[in-house]
Amino acid sequence: LPVMSKQGEHMKKFKNKGKDTDSLRRQRVEVTVQLRKAKKDEQILKRRSISFSVLGQSLSPGEDKRDEVIPLSLEEIAEAVNGSNTKLQLQATQAARKILSKQKDPPINQIIELGIIPRLTEFLGRSDNAALQFEAAWALTNIASGTSSHTKAVVEAGAIPAFISLLSSPHMHISEQSVWALGNIAGDGPLYRDALISCSVIPPLLALVSPATPVGFLRNITWTLSNLCRNKNPYPPLNAVEEILPVLICLVEHEDKEIISDSCWAISYLTDGSNDRIQIVVDTGILPRLVELLDRPELIIMTPALRAVGNVVTGTDEQTQAAIDAGVLAVLPRLLRHSKTSIQKEAAWALSNIAAGPGQQIQQLITCGLLPPLVELLDKGDFKAQKEAVWVVANFTTGGTTEQVVELVRSGVLRPLLNLLLAKDSKTILIILDTISNLFLAAEKLGETERLCLLVEELDGLEKIEALQNHDNNMVYRAALNIIEKYFSGEENPDLQPGTDQDGLYDFSVEKQDFDF
Amino acid sequence: MELSDANLQTLTEYLKKTLDPDPAIRRPAEKFLESVEGSQNYPLLLLTLLEKSQENVIKVCASVTFKNYIKRNWRIVGILVEDEPNKICESDRIAIKANIVPLMLSSPEQIQKQLSDAISIIGREDFPQKWPDLLTEMVNRFQSGDFHVINGVLRTAHSLFKRYRHEFKSNELWTEIKLVLDAFALPLTNLFKATIELCSTHANDASALKVLFSSLILIAKLFYSLNFQDLPEFFEDNMETWMTNFHTLLTLDNKLLQTDDEEEAGLLELLKSQICDNAALYAQKYDEEFQPYLPRFVTAIWNLLVTTGQEVKYDLLVSNAIQFLASVCERPHYKHLFEDQNTLTSICEKVIVPNMEFRAADEEAFEDNSEEYIRRDLEGSDIDTRRRAACDLVRGLCKFFEGPVTGIFSGYVNSMLQEYAKNPSVNWKHKDAAIYLVTSLASKAQTQKHGITQANELVNLTEFFVNHIQPDLKSASVNEFPVLKADGIKYIMIFRNQVPKEQLLVSIPLLINHLQAESIVVHTYAAHALERLFTMRGTNNSTLITAAEMAPFVEVLLTNLFKALTLPGSSENEYIMKAIMRSFSLLQESIIPYIPSVITQLTQKLLAVSKNPSKPHFNHYMFESICLSIRITCKANPDAVGSFEEALFMVFTEILQNDVQEFIPYVFQVMSLLLEMHKNEIPRSYMALFPHLLQPVLWERTGNIPPLVRLLQAYLERGANTIASAAADKIPGLLGVFQKLIASKANDHQGFYLLNSIIEHMPPESVDQYRKQIFILLFQRLQNSKTTKFIKSFLVFINLYCIKYGALALQEIFDSIQPKMFGMVLEKIIIPEIQKVSGQVEKKICAVGITKILTECPPMMDTEYTKLWTPLLQALIGLFELPEDDTIPDEEHFIDIEDTPGYQTAFSQLAFAGKKEHDPVGQMVNNPRIHLAQSLHKLSTACPGRVPSMLSTSLNAEALQYLQGYLQAASVTLL
Repeated sequence: LPVMSKQGEHMKKFKNKGKDTDSLRRQRVEVTVQLRKAKKDEQILKRRSISFSVLGQSLSPGEDKRDEVIPLSLEEIAEAVNGSNTKLQLQATQAARKILSKQKDPPINQIIELGIIPRLTEFLGRSDNAALQFEAAWALTNIASGTSSHTKAVVEAGAIPAFISLLSSPHMHISEQSVWALGNIAGDGPLYRDALISCSVIPPLLALVSPATPVGFLRNITWTLSNLCRNKNPYPPLNAVEEILPVLICLVEHEDKEIISDSCWAISYLTDGSNDRIQIVVDTGILPRLVELLDRPELIIMTPALRAVGNVVTGTDEQTQAAIDAGVLAVLPRLLRHSKTSIQKEAAWALSNIAAGPGQQIQQLITCGLLPPLVELLDKGDFKAQKEAVWVVANFTTGGTTEQVVELVRSGVLRPLLNLLLAKDSKTILIILDTISNLFLAAEKLGETERLCLLVEELDGLEKIEALQNHDNNMVYRAALNIIEKYFSGEENPDLQPGTDQDGLYDFSVEKQDFDF
Repeated sequence: MELSDANLQTLTEYLKKTLDPDPAIRRPAEKFLESVEGSQNYPLLLLTLLEKSQENVIKVCASVTFKNYIKRNWRIVGILVEDEPNKICESDRIAIKANIVPLMLSSPEQIQKQLSDAISIIGREDFPQKWPDLLTEMVNRFQSGDFHVINGVLRTAHSLFKRYRHEFKSNELWTEIKLVLDAFALPLTNLFKATIELCSTHANDASALKVLFSSLILIAKLFYSLNFQDLPEFFEDNMETWMTNFHTLLTLDNKLLQTDDEEEAGLLELLKSQICDNAALYAQKYDEEFQPYLPRFVTAIWNLLVTTGQEVKYDLLVSNAIQFLASVCERPHYKHLFEDQNTLTSICEKVIVPNMEFRAADEEAFEDNSEEYIRRDLEGSDIDTRRRAACDLVRGLCKFFEGPVTGIFSGYVNSMLQEYAKNPSVNWKHKDAAIYLVTSLASKAQTQKHGITQANELVNLTEFFVNHIQPDLKSASVNEFPVLKADGIKYIMIFRNQVPKEQLLVSIPLLINHLQAESIVVHTYAAHALERLFTMRGTNNSTLITAAEMAPFVEVLLTNLFKALTLPGSSENEYIMKAIMRSFSLLQESIIPYIPSVITQLTQKLLAVSKNPSKPHFNHYMFESICLSIRITCKANPDAVGSFEEALFMVFTEILQNDVQEFIPYVFQVMSLLLEMHKNEIPRSYMALFPHLLQPVLWERTGNIPPLVRLLQAYLERGANTIASAAADKIPGLLGVFQKLIASKANDHQGFYLLNSIIEHMPPESVDQYRKQIFILLFQRLQNSKTTKFIKSFLVFINLYCIKYGALALQEIFDSIQPKMFGMVLEKIIIPEIQKVSGQVEKKICAVGITKILTECPPMMDTEYTKLWTPLLQALIGLFELPEDDTIPDEEHFIDIEDTPGYQTAFSQLAFAGKKEHDPVGQMVNNPRIHLAQSLHKLSTACPGRVPSMLSTSLNAEALQYLQGYLQAASVTLL
């Protein structure tokens, strides 16, 4: 039964308190299934097409103004492209590019069905005719910006080597167009990404980066580089990463916001993985810069920088320490209070992984004043952020020392935590119940069980836990039952403390210790 | 089994027989059906019958049989095991899935329900992978326009999807939900819109509306399930449609849908209630996306509350609606929706106050179902009630608007009190509401143990108490306005920590007086309030209310408490019994004059309830009260124990003879207490019982073990010599009990308690012949299944033995069992494990025992055991100085669970029968460290030079330093 084995894992997490902190760190959840709408500002696009609206600021050197594009029917395009008249070829390619540049629903499928892609790919090699090369590159870029099957059509026509050789074209606008096309292909997924890498795309691409490269062009290069870093299963090959990283480190220092943003995204992809991948990035010494960027007001920078730092703290204790040393704890309070809920959530996630660390990291978390914003978030945050905040508390109580847990309770965590027992999310409820058990373990050590019982009851926690004994989820109801039985069922017994009894009558201590019913 | 008419006929016959009231006919038929259910085509025969049988009973019977058959057999548990074969063959499975949906939809409702259940059972296993076309099949029916069919589909969908509400997020689950959304969300939305349109076209057709509203309820429930895990893209894109329509439905009313029934919620109420849930779900989880809609819902729900009547049928809707407002109003970014003074006033006036009113239903419960009333009102099992919801809303509003809300309510409280004053006998409910309002306004945090622990500082609780509560309780008749009396008493109870002590003292005689009230609620509350007041702590941990302050009331208190037990409905009232116990405990020796009468009444009660024990709490407090009577009396006059025995033994004998299982553990505890009161040799009456206590049947019940061990220990303490002389033949039986206990991982520590008492108290010669056997048994356990708990007890025992019989005797008996055994135990058990021993007395026993081994056991000095001398000393110093080793190996976490054989009456420990901790070493050794130093000194005098040389060669430096400290403290030196 899958449920049972999950419980087993879960128990492992919480039973052996503090013994297995590595397993507490939560990797970015591999989202294979998503119910929600993808939020545009949280991600950069895997693919970009060039529409007329981008044109103004983009590469095209006033092409359209120079000669008006003559509109052609699809049949006429096919005929001319397949014909041998160079002028007509150019006109037709231009017309195709124009159709593909429609902002809304360009008819990519129809163009593919015309069967002209192999021809367009061929045109890429026509170094005698720069205009034709350029128009073909543009058209193919937009086809590749479609769905996976669209990209596939371009790749299968042999466009990869053609575009790679165009990177070194003497015409800057053509090489820039190729960068763009290759970015779209790389963004399709690990398969084409690695196909590009094995066709040696990286050296000519990196060669384009120089102090003289115009900003617009550099943006495109950065984006394409980020797509070459993107995707796991498998990760990009190690040597490719090692080739790209030094350039990324320079790009992240650039003053242009978009360049910074895309290079941060690239770093976030590279850190979204196993600890050895994280280590490669940490070794570059980039962390202080990333933390500095966390403080930037622009969302497009802060978001990927936070993702990258968040990924780093999923790593080993040492890697997490590196992020702490870079000052992440000083900026997190602001991020936890950020007006954007996605930032709150991401920040809380990062914090949950720091809280999963050893005692001294938890101590730093306390010292840097993270508890007040944590409690605030738990109390008033958006639900997604609250869920992450619950993880912070859970990890904290699992790995923290008794003194640290006391500090946490003093900061007022209990009230919002108990309120969240009403959350409409079984997992969150279960984690809270486990956290409550952890708190009781700490209280037992201090001989403060009774006080904690009262506190939980005062904050209306007891009735919520009691109600959870009727929860439909088995694990939730068992966890609730467990707490009630262990700490609240002997309602009478704490009452019977011999405060009124001068005889020392309350003395079954020998039995009590070992008594197990 | 073929699908033949003959088989259908046979099956019909048997199904008919399963309905026969005569078991002689019914049972064989059921057996037969069970025996053939593994045959191919059996389920298809059932489906044929439920569709085509001529007789309706057979149709229904076949559908129920089919559902149960599916429930039992559809699920294939992991890899098939021999005795659990797959009873449904693959072709039948396919056929069932192909036919069941249309069959369900074309069946009459009674059969439809069974088939719908069957579909969801199958769906739980097969959907979606093994039943890919189920959804399309269902969705296609939405087009049918036949709402009988559509409701069948919706009901099935609901039972398939409702698990999304409680299952953990997983890729598997979300894949399924995504699949469902892709196929179902759009058709559901269209159906929703179409149904709403039909509602307006059929606005005048009551029967059509009923069907349509049933659909809407199911649609709203499906919405909840599908939106529970996360906000699906589809529903985000279509939020406008859904929320606008939900909003409209909330505000909708149609005379045709109103029901006459006062209790049962109608379709309209159920739908609106579900919509409140849906809105609350969005408000909690998808706040960002839902924000634009929320204010509209707040207004609609609030209007709904204002216009909804007091009938019970609206309760769920009203409390859901109020809870929605309560959850929204404490969020900072919605504060503005409430902060207008007019809004606040109108919420207070129209939503909160009306829902705090004492309704006819409450009055009925107060009079006729007082137990339930008390549970709801006192113990807080009122989560779904209107009053409770209103209370939560008050608290929610107070988070931001405490001042204004308190101000508004003060006005209401005053006007309600004025109404009451005008004509109390008519308007008493106004005062009840006023008190409730004050209570909910003032209480910010509350516990059972302390009452209100945080109060609203803007409410003057004492003033209200003096002006409005006390007068009611002072009135001449305790039976007038019972609800207000109960309110007043409850007020004292919950605000006991806020009201000053002098006011509490004034209240005590009033409460005692109300013990005589006829109303069960009133006298129960009075007892409970007294009990709570008596547990309050004053300075230096003594009780707030002292025995001296209670002196004038002792007699009337005791009289009224016992009299209350004779009032109708309260003969086993646990609150009263608890108050009796607490009064005894507070009053101590001032109850002595009343004991003869008290103990008579308690014994009579005991005798009466032992016929049929049904109130565990009542019984527990009754035994506690008996224990207290004994302790308090015998402390002043030890000889009184005899009169207690006289009074109690007859009832006890009856309980034991009739084997009243619930009471036996209590009886043993009281007997232990009595026996321990005896200063001299054990009385004959106890000895007569001794053989019976060794009866195995008693020891089979887990709940008996701790009190019986305790009782046997008392026997050994007081009567070891008598046992040795007059009951020597019972010693093997006694040791048999020890053996039985030691065999269990859960009870072995109890076995050691018994063994320790035997060793400590029995004359050595009486157990001489058994000693070797005892050790062999222990070694066997040690060898086969040792646990940390066992080792700890074992270490304490062998050291106790060493103290009692000497270290040399210990070494000799070990080595007589097996050569070199002593060394092995030292090396493998004592030295490595001694650190685990816990408990002061236990540690002391071990320290003194080990000291003896070190200093009074010649073989430790001049045999191969000598090499263990220093490690043993080091371990002893560790025991003194190092923190306790409380690690327990992983595999031991669950020991007790697997060892406890099923549920049995748990042992209920009586606090007031408590046993004093016993220290067998006692005065013999005061300070074990000094004792070690002195003993080492003595040893070194006997063999000068040896001890220092052993120390200097292998004792580690830190330990040596500690040891020097001990020597210094004892002012001795080693030679």
